[in-house]
Amino acid sequence: MIEQELTVSNRLGLHARATAKLVQTLSGYRSSATLTAKGREVNAKSIMGVMLLAAGQGTQVKLRVEGDDEEPAAQAVVSLFERRFDEDS
Amino acid sequence: MRQTFVGHGASRGSALGRARVRLPHALEVAEEHIPAKRVEGEIVRLHAAIATVREEMFALRERLHGALAHEVGEFLDLHSLLLDDPELLQGLDELIRTGRYSADYALRLQRDRIASVFQAMDDAYFRSRVDDIDQVIGRIHAALHRRDAGMPGVAGEILVSDNVAPAEIAQLQAQGVMAIVTTTGSILSHSAILARSLHLPLVVGVADGALQRINDGDVLAVDGATGNVIIEPDANDLRAHRGRVRELARERKQLHRLRREPTRTLDGIDIKLYANAESRDDVAEAHALGAAGVGLYRTEFLFLQRNELPDEEEQFRVYRDVVLGMTGRAVTIRTLDLGADKADRTGLALRDEPNPALGLRGVRLSLARAGLLEAQLRALVRASGYGPLRILLPMVSTREEVRTVRAALKRVMVQLREQGHAIAENIPLGAMIEVPAAAIALPAFIGSVDFLSIGTNDLVQYLLAADRNNEALGSLYTPLHPAVIRLVRNVIQLAHKRGKPVAVCGEMAGDPHFAPMLLALGLMEFSLHPATLLELRRTIRHCDLAQLQSRAPALLRARDRAGIEEWIAENAPAIA
Repeated sequence: MIEQELTVSNRLGLHARATAKLVQTLSGYRSSATLTAKGREVNAKSIMGVMLLAAGQGTQVKLRVEGDDEEPAAQAVVSLFERRFDEDS
Repeated sequence: MRQTFVGHGASRGSALGRARVRLPHALEVAEEHIPAKRVEGEIVRLHAAIATVREEMFALRERLHGALAHEVGEFLDLHSLLLDDPELLQGLDELIRTGRYSADYALRLQRDRIASVFQAMDDAYFRSRVDDIDQVIGRIHAALHRRDAGMPGVAGEILVSDNVAPAEIAQLQAQGVMAIVTTTGSILSHSAILARSLHLPLVVGVADGALQRINDGDVLAVDGATGNVIIEPDANDLRAHRGRVRELARERKQLHRLRREPTRTLDGIDIKLYANAESRDDVAEAHALGAAGVGLYRTEFLFLQRNELPDEEEQFRVYRDVVLGMTGRAVTIRTLDLGADKADRTGLALRDEPNPALGLRGVRLSLARAGLLEAQLRALVRASGYGPLRILLPMVSTREEVRTVRAALKRVMVQLREQGHAIAENIPLGAMIEVPAAAIALPAFIGSVDFLSIGTNDLVQYLLAADRNNEALGSLYTPLHPAVIRLVRNVIQLAHKRGKPVAVCGEMAGDPHFAPMLLALGLMEFSLHPATLLELRRTIRHCDLAQLQSRAPALLRARDRAGIEEWIAENAPAIA
């Protein structure tokens, strides 16, 4: 299992478009993944789950990935966060 | 029993079909339990409905193209993800298993549970995502029933609803809806503009009672021109409907004949209609419809969706083909109009601008990236050897920007001549007027440009400080604001006084409803998507320019949107 602390740094936070990107990224991997923020843990492969976190800019989230391809999956998510979801529009 | 409702005709066309009523809260489903032995069957039924919706959305995605693909595609992607969301699916199966609920009631419970969490959020953006979830759940619900009753989709039906969002218009049309009737909305809303551009009959603003009085399956006769909606039409109504359909077919034929006619007002003044284009097909269509030329050729597509910059040679071939395609008619090509909000993969635009609309975009980006402007100018200048070509700069806000590009253009022209290329003697350089500063300070730099093109989409957004894609702003984004009217008028007048051609190339130029207003403001050149070119030509041919211009003072006196809409209604030409 891989755990990693991440900060939501794009301006709009985990809104629909960013969430869609996250879910699409993870859908390419078999591992299960969750995000935890504000004391709530949600399925990171669920767009509704992630949107329900209502994580705005600056929110700290904990990513947890578990499965046979957990390493590349976690890396893909970390890189997505670092690239601020390629948008900030 | 026959009943009539009268709304406002927002998009012409006549339709006769069965009603599909969409209530504001679409899921009014009563609690319903099923026996244990039906549980697994109910789950299968639900998943079959979800599979149907998935196929429908996929098919719809395939059929979208051009600008719509971008705008609507984003919604569809989100909806597809929601449809396959584990939170949604697992929750539903479990409700049916443990609660022994019908699939319908499980959908409703799930919808209410998710909606309640979203609605409790502080952030208006997240709150409004309930609409997306409602749309997805509504689709599944509709598919469940379609399957049961063997009812077709909205294809061939007339949608009756409280309102429709702009993004839905294109979806519904692609699904085959025949017409739309809404209880709210304006004929000048973004949805209405879209419906007209897609030739989808639309009646807005019928009495609220329509949603209660009209039932699913009622036969409706809708006239998108007069705004008349008749429930259970009688023999006379049906005859009238057939008459209108014949009339429309005749009208389409006549419209087609306008391809070879001039765009001349009743008092004999010729107006120039140019086409906005970004593909070979657009250029071919513009030529076939008798456009005066291409008024705005967008070059962004050359730079998007790829990893490296197009070189001079590739750009040259594309620009040359546009010029050749128009066989001697004027072609205006806009230099790269990229900003941080467009996802280029070349790394040209900045990634993390806090405010891309006000950032490094348009001509600013071209000037900031070494070699970018030069390569594009060289390609354009080389293409100028094949026919009349003008260069248009986007997002101009200072005189220096134009002068810097002008100097670069001169340099490039000298170089290319020395290298033996046959190029035009003179290549006009123009500026988009979309930054309010450029419009207001126009007297200071109109001497530096050869022509102007008013980009109303961005001008309105910047002038009113209203993002056109922000749903929370409602109708705040509108060209029908006295500030817009006055500024557009000032730009047109000054350009004419100084002998510089000026066109409007925003969305409003393509909608015949706005034509009398723009003519009254003095506009003589329109640049629009070819799809509505003939309709605009027909409207202009029914306008009396001198009379409209004599009514300009009343337009400029209008104090608000309602006043401007009233002027537009009073001055709409009667089209035989």
